[in-house]
Amino acid sequence: MSNSLLSTTDLSISYGAVKAVRGSNLEVKEGEVVALLGPNGAGKSSTLRAIVGLIKSQGSVNFAGHDITGLPTERIVSLGLSLVPEGRRLFPNLTVSENLMLGAPRKAKSDDLFDELLDRLPILRERLQQVSGTLSGGEQQQVAIARALMSRPKLLLIDEPSLGLAPTIVDAVYQLLSDLRKTGLAMIIVEQEVMRVLKFADRAYAMSTGEIALEGSAADLSTSDEVKRVYLGGAE
Amino acid sequence: MDALISYLVNVISLGGTYALLALGLAVVFSVLGLINFAHGELMTLTGYVLLAGVLTGQPFWLAVLVAVIAGGISAGLMEFAAFRPVRNASGATLLMTSFAVSMLLQVLFQNGISPRGQAVPVPTWLTTSLSIGNSQISKVQIMSITVGVLSLLALKFFFDRSYWGWAIRAAADDFEIVGLMGVKASRLITFAFLLSGLLAGVAGVLWVIQRGSVDPLMGFKPVLAAFIVAVIGGLGSLTGAVAGGFILSAIEIALQTWLPPNVMPYRDAVTYTLVVIILSIFPNGIFGKKSQEKV
Repeated sequence: MSNSLLSTTDLSISYGAVKAVRGSNLEVKEGEVVALLGPNGAGKSSTLRAIVGLIKSQGSVNFAGHDITGLPTERIVSLGLSLVPEGRRLFPNLTVSENLMLGAPRKAKSDDLFDELLDRLPILRERLQQVSGTLSGGEQQQVAIARALMSRPKLLLIDEPSLGLAPTIVDAVYQLLSDLRKTGLAMIIVEQEVMRVLKFADRAYAMSTGEIALEGSAADLSTSDEVKRVYLGGAE
Repeated sequence: MDALISYLVNVISLGGTYALLALGLAVVFSVLGLINFAHGELMTLTGYVLLAGVLTGQPFWLAVLVAVIAGGISAGLMEFAAFRPVRNASGATLLMTSFAVSMLLQVLFQNGISPRGQAVPVPTWLTTSLSIGNSQISKVQIMSITVGVLSLLALKFFFDRSYWGWAIRAAADDFEIVGLMGVKASRLITFAFLLSGLLAGVAGVLWVIQRGSVDPLMGFKPVLAAFIVAVIGGLGSLTGAVAGGFILSAIEIALQTWLPPNVMPYRDAVTYTLVVIILSIFPNGIFGKKSQEKV
């Protein structure tokens, strides 16, 4: 249970002259849910994108015993990492079913998984042949998560699951994540709704201007004044 | 009635060819964000391979088949030799590369084959016409409609039912995320070029059979039309490419049929004025997505 699943060592990300992330060290253990907090521009999304190889980074990333630093995204995905990107990024002109099928590896037998996910998300079963761009925000988020699960990940990275969703829909999304956690799936969740994610996560990191400012158990961080200061730093 | 039939026949046969060409452009645009202006030279090359096949006495169907396949393979080679080395460069670099490839091939055709057009003999069974009511429809047109429509149906099936079809359509929506689906980007790009080359091949064969000849600069006009078609339909939209093909063809043939003779010299000007009007109503093309910039 306490085996390290993912670790980043001295991870740095630059956009031109701007350093978005500076030397961050993150760790996720098997089955663990980790929250990544911080104000806008703190480098949370960049961190997730760098881990799956969508953007270049310095430093190293280890996942499930593999050095995945610099590997192409499709290799990283095949090793068991999956990202639900910010803004969901479904393929709007593809049907729900096509979005999901594309999430599975080409040669994989994924019918069982497909059915299992639809059992979890019955609303999507009615929408299978609908073009995904016409779904509501909550439905799109469900499809985005289901699509990311089609590659049978060991670690799911989720960028802003509650963004733009009504509170009741957010509850449904977190209910889904909670069900998934029971299957032993590890997660990193980037979330603006700090208190909600801290209630859900095991541990958390708080980033501020590209650096990890704080880390600790979610319970500790949720009572920390420091979190409020870091998180609200830009808003005061 | 007869005028209408012959109008429709002309629209469908030209529109089908435009649609195939524009789809070829759109497929590559989906994966690279590049309008490949060397697409026209793939048509020309197909024409020369067809000519070579006919001149060396191959059966016509075999010459056609080899020509279309040559289009696909050449597009794959083009990607490997010219576009892969600059894959991560800016859009302007890619565009310049496509012009360079286009010019290079034109010069090779001019110097290596002949600057003048070469007649491509088509089998005699294709040169006769059928009468439907009082209108005469040439068998070349019937063939061109049949091939155009069947190719589009086959593509529809491919795009809707196959993994690689989904991947290409997904790339048209959001290329970056396709990699997250575990699709290997470089393989998808190669695949897109092969498909686009096959489409240029089919369009090239249809074009050459309709004109009865092939010349080094032949590809320019249709690729320009296909570019306009792709823009009308909405750059990157595959449905739009097909719709745009038939729209441009409907406009061109209507003007050619019904424009008064004294205005006829301005036909292209009128066509493009209409195109500008369409684009001012649909700035992103009819099926285009609203452009979204995000860092």
